[in-house]
Amino acid sequence: MSASALQWQVYDRPEMRDSISAPAGAGQREVLLGLDGMHCGACVARVERLLAPHASQVQVNLAGRTVQFRFAPEIEPLSSILALLDGEGYTPRVLAQDVRINGDRRGAREQLARIGVAVLCSMQVMMLAWPTYGSDAAGIDPSVLQLLRWTQWLFATPCVIYGGWPFLAGAARALRARRVDMDVPIAVSIVVAYLVSAWRVLAGSGELYFDSATMFVMLLSGARFLEGRSRARAAGHLRRLVGMRKLTATRVGESGEQTVPLAQVVLGDVLKVAPGEAVPVDGALLDLAAELDEALLSGEAKPVLHRRNERLLAGSVNVGAAPLRLRAEALGSQTWLAQITAVLQRAERERPPFQQVLDRFAGVFSLLILMLAAGTAWAWWSHDHEHALSAALAVLVASCPCALSLAGPLAFAAGSGQLARRGVLVARPRSLGRLADVDTVVFDKTGTLTRSQPVVEHVEVLGTETAERCLAIAAALERELTHPLAQAFRRYEQNLPAREVRSAPGRGVAGLVEGRRYWIGAADGLSAGAGEAAATLLALRDEQQTLARFALQAPPRPEAAAAVAALRRQGIDVRLLTGDAEAPAQALARLVGITEVHARMRPEDKLEHVRQLQAQGRVVMAVGDGINDAPLLAGADVACAMPQGAALAQARADLLLVDESLRALAGAPTLARDIRRRVQQNIGWALLYNVAVLPLAMAGALAPWMAALGMSASSLIVVLNALRLPRRGETN
Amino acid sequence: MQILFLLIPLGVVLMAAAGGLLVWAIRSGQYEDLDSVAERMPDDEPR
Repeated sequence: MSASALQWQVYDRPEMRDSISAPAGAGQREVLLGLDGMHCGACVARVERLLAPHASQVQVNLAGRTVQFRFAPEIEPLSSILALLDGEGYTPRVLAQDVRINGDRRGAREQLARIGVAVLCSMQVMMLAWPTYGSDAAGIDPSVLQLLRWTQWLFATPCVIYGGWPFLAGAARALRARRVDMDVPIAVSIVVAYLVSAWRVLAGSGELYFDSATMFVMLLSGARFLEGRSRARAAGHLRRLVGMRKLTATRVGESGEQTVPLAQVVLGDVLKVAPGEAVPVDGALLDLAAELDEALLSGEAKPVLHRRNERLLAGSVNVGAAPLRLRAEALGSQTWLAQITAVLQRAERERPPFQQVLDRFAGVFSLLILMLAAGTAWAWWSHDHEHALSAALAVLVASCPCALSLAGPLAFAAGSGQLARRGVLVARPRSLGRLADVDTVVFDKTGTLTRSQPVVEHVEVLGTETAERCLAIAAALERELTHPLAQAFRRYEQNLPAREVRSAPGRGVAGLVEGRRYWIGAADGLSAGAGEAAATLLALRDEQQTLARFALQAPPRPEAAAAVAALRRQGIDVRLLTGDAEAPAQALARLVGITEVHARMRPEDKLEHVRQLQAQGRVVMAVGDGINDAPLLAGADVACAMPQGAALAQARADLLLVDESLRALAGAPTLARDIRRRVQQNIGWALLYNVAVLPLAMAGALAPWMAALGMSASSLIVVLNALRLPRRGETN
Repeated sequence: MQILFLLIPLGVVLMAAAGGLLVWAIRSGQYEDLDSVAERMPDDEPR
């Protein structure tokens, strides 16, 4: 057996089975693979031919570069199919199966089929019902009329039962849980209209409501389908992230290289990542340098160059020509990829507070409608039996609060999706409301307005040690810190042992290096050779004296000035709060166009400043790197973090700037206002419609089919209004 | 008008066929990926 076949055998292990493939019945399992090397339609045909003898239900997706098939593990293990593909030049990428994602795919198919049936059948019913409308029916032969009625029943049945199943099942679920939600009035109106009409067909006379029932099912499932599509699009980023999780790693041990399941990798393992492969865990680079594509993690399109000892992130792809080695430093749920996925999943689950109120309101509203419909029927009964039913149906159908309950979530989903495409991930949906009101933005300096990687620009030796030695001591002290300033010393690492390292944010770091106590922190005053005023000065001291002063320079982000200008154009007050000295802070502020600067602020001072602004009635958004500014971010109304490599799950951030670009930020408040306006419009429209149509329906002025049309149109207007958001945003 | 007794059942049968075909096509995933086929080159090789 060849080496490449051995490499795939790891996927046959029982502990990997459930994370790769899903049971598909009859002893078969279904698997979804990424497939590299597939470029054209001919490749698709070739892959299908290759797999045909070994697998069933092969589906190749060229745009997504994926293939899905079923295989029988008892007859042929997955590894031999993988080796076969690999041998033909199509390198399989085994993806982690996400039950929810695959469930969605199957659910979406079924939903489409239901809509298709509903549309076909309701068109037929409408056609057959048309001749019986109004006075035309008088001229029709009675036997033909009976034929038309029976055929309507025939067509309405699949539409109501198959097409309307989601509503019927939803209502049954709600009633079993002793709740009333909006599925209940929908299901009641469909079932009542259907049963009454069926009974009248059997009886041979009386008005039929098959047309209303089928039209209601068709239009409502259409609205739900659009809603589902927009949600799916908003979740697209999450889906791609989940797809990037690797399941195996190549471990370099004393006995050579070995492919092992990720669960068996422990901290400190040395792993190899071949060119074109994704990094399996977070870890420190052991080679001199490597180029990585982090597009999925940060949105940065260009490959990022990493040097020895720098942290590589799981999910980034080795785009260099040579394999790289790294030492595992964070596994599983500790990796950046897992954390960003977790944050997004949490955001997907969270519902904005007003939406929770609205959901409860929709429940009460549904109950009210059921009672009103019953009341209408009772009031009409004594006058006119025939009209009582039609009026009650019209009330049920016309005033269903579907539009009301669609109003909020759709606009939010569309808005979050639009923000995500611009590079702003909404970690807490409830922050969108406050984002719309933001009138003050406070920026941190390092890592936020400037690039996160400062460089040591100048070393001024004041003591007896050499410059190299001072830099090595500083590197040892700063080794464990995630602060951007600490990164600057990484390249001067001589692996000196450091113990008892303590850091006080804003004040510096102290610790024992090779048994001697050192301290590094902000230096006072400017030294002669410090270069530009925008530099940050750090001093290294031992217990007696200052050994050296380092001038660190982080270049401002190229897009910072444009972002600040755009915020100010919106009338937003922009401030810079920094722990740095006055001079470099002022210099940076001039470069990016900020006039209000507060320098030498400790994190407590920043928090106090934000509190004061809030006391003046301002709504404050804080932008920071996520860790050093934790108190600032915690105090602000909207916290926006640019957490490159920092522990994300701990950062209290409402918004995440994933592509490390401020450009996206400027548009965010505008978009948030747009979302809020859209939600208000939707709710206003839905309420207005319901309030206006209810008296008409109760008075018996609406035929049930008119009510169905009006209700569904109202839902569609709400859906389309919410979906209008993204397109509008893109032109801005 | 008696022809309707033939034509309407005929329409029912046709609709049933159309509906069945549509459901089959959707369930077997034919609407899943509308892009790949467009990129597929003319494929003469026997399969």
